[in-house]
Amino acid sequence: MPIGVKVMKRPIKQTSYLRATLKGMALTFSHLLRPKVTMQYPEEKSSKDWTLSSRWRGTHRMLTDEQGRAKCVACGLCPQICPANCIKLVPGEDEEGNRYPLIYEIDEFRCIFCGYCQEVCPEEAIHVGVHYENSEYSRDRFVYDLERLSAQTHPVSTLWDPSDPKGE
Amino acid sequence: MADGLINLTIDGAPVSVPPGTLVIEAAKQAGVLVPHYCYHPGLPVAGVCRMCLVEIEKAPKLQIACATTVTEGMVVKTQAPAAKDARQGVLEFLLINHPLDCPICDQAGECELQDFVFQEGQARTRYAEFAKRFNPVEDFGPDVLYVPNRCILCTRCVRFMEDVAQEPVLNVSERGDRAFIGIHPEARLDHPWAGNVVDLCPVGSLLSKDFLHKARAWELDKTASICTGCSQGCNITLDTRDEVVVRVRPRPNLEVNRYFICDHGRMHYKWMNRGDRIEAPLVRAGAELKATDWDEALDRVTAILRGTEGRTAVALVSPGASSEALALAKRVFTGFTWTGAFQVVMGEDAPLAGVPDLALRAERAPNAKGAENLGYTRDYAPALAAAKTAAVVLVLDDPDCAVDTNGALIYLGTVLGENAACRRADVILPIANVAEEEGTFTNRDGRTQRYYQAKPAPGMAQPAAWVLGQLAAAMGPAEAQR
Repeated sequence: MPIGVKVMKRPIKQTSYLRATLKGMALTFSHLLRPKVTMQYPEEKSSKDWTLSSRWRGTHRMLTDEQGRAKCVACGLCPQICPANCIKLVPGEDEEGNRYPLIYEIDEFRCIFCGYCQEVCPEEAIHVGVHYENSEYSRDRFVYDLERLSAQTHPVSTLWDPSDPKGE
Repeated sequence: MADGLINLTIDGAPVSVPPGTLVIEAAKQAGVLVPHYCYHPGLPVAGVCRMCLVEIEKAPKLQIACATTVTEGMVVKTQAPAAKDARQGVLEFLLINHPLDCPICDQAGECELQDFVFQEGQARTRYAEFAKRFNPVEDFGPDVLYVPNRCILCTRCVRFMEDVAQEPVLNVSERGDRAFIGIHPEARLDHPWAGNVVDLCPVGSLLSKDFLHKARAWELDKTASICTGCSQGCNITLDTRDEVVVRVRPRPNLEVNRYFICDHGRMHYKWMNRGDRIEAPLVRAGAELKATDWDEALDRVTAILRGTEGRTAVALVSPGASSEALALAKRVFTGFTWTGAFQVVMGEDAPLAGVPDLALRAERAPNAKGAENLGYTRDYAPALAAAKTAAVVLVLDDPDCAVDTNGALIYLGTVLGENAACRRADVILPIANVAEEEGTFTNRDGRTQRYYQAKPAPGMAQPAAWVLGQLAAAMGPAEAQR
């Protein structure tokens, strides 16, 4: 027994798609007249309407002193606070008897970019950076050593300031 | 309450202590730690730091808890506003010149100045506009550095050298804000017990060169252990970081070492971290030694022990092996004609003058007494000669043993030298060292003390007591062997 299909009789006014098409195209063409929001990345990296937040937490940067040496004194607080356990630090002593890091490595793959290392640093040496372009040709290049961390030039994060929670 | 005790109240808690007890010690019994710097239970009382000021009812002024003896009915208030105020004042004075270089200070994390400032100091200084005093770091002795900037002049180090070591080479030089710890111009801090000043220093002023920058205090795992440096049996703590022993510190035991250990014991830990360890059981296959598993190696030893004709056995053991291992090394040879001997390395005697019956003993063997109690003898040369003709020779943890035998040779050890006599053993079994196992040592006074495991053993190495226990069990109960 064939299944009976009930065919509704509708007026052409309701079944024609011409109206809907014209409505849609009107919206499409109206965009031609609106201001442009597309950015030509990577030629353009920010515009007047869009910039990276100064609180952005990206790959790290080690600040240096006037002589170009890392400000780090190897106190051991960043590996201690790091929830991802991505910082390797071996302290040592230089010729003048100052404590400095013999080995300082951050595994950026392990890092969760919480910014605790920057917050805890008593010397304001290690910072998370306002930076997001990190592509490399091999995985091991993502373990940043002290030399590489010090050579970074991107701006550093301001983190979240409790006294200015909205960043104003 | 027992007779002859004095009853007093400390922070509302009643305590009873013997007459002559100091208030600071009585407070410990009440569970109250009065902040202090110059006071140390192992040193004479000086009363110079003024940190332990407490209020005592009916006393006209605040009293220092470290130099006040208890009296009947005394009411001590350590948390009285006046006492807290006075202690805060003392801390403020101490911090005028303290450099606050905690990030690079080795003491950070175990610093009493840090602790007490955190507990009851004030958050800000009122002396910010004046530069702090600066003096360069001084080299005091073979293992001691002096950082005068951090010094709070508690004089614990001075009193230790004067009254305990009785070699007064330190003093307080100059006065007032210029004062520092001075050393005799022609002397060095090289007394065999001088390393204790580093432990005694409440701040990071006296530092161990050996431990300098090695680890932060909060990274260390601490394990109760017994010093293997000599037969005194000092109680120690092994501090490990990432499964490497980085420091040895004394663990108070009033019956043995009080609060101190000697420098020999303090430095006697590097061998515990040796990398060239035997990591798998080795059995002889022709001229070669073949790495194998425990089952095969133990089966091979059992076969050797069962198959011997002579039934004579010689055990050449280290007096650094645990009593458990030594006892089992004897039980394995039940039914044999057994000779056990150990060799003791001798060194210099170095007593600590101010503490009776405490010295770095000439006998550098932590368990010589324990081995003797178990029937091992000190007559090493005859045992070595007897080994030549014995059917089975067991060498326990003695890599330099000059053994020569015609019988079967079984070596239980941690390391194997390039040209060691034990290289020709039939079976070599890897064992854990003292930091990697639990066990007991019996010191020269017959006191049996336990040590605990501080780090894992490398590879397949097992505690000697486990290995010998497996062998003893495989050989069956004693009566079955006859």
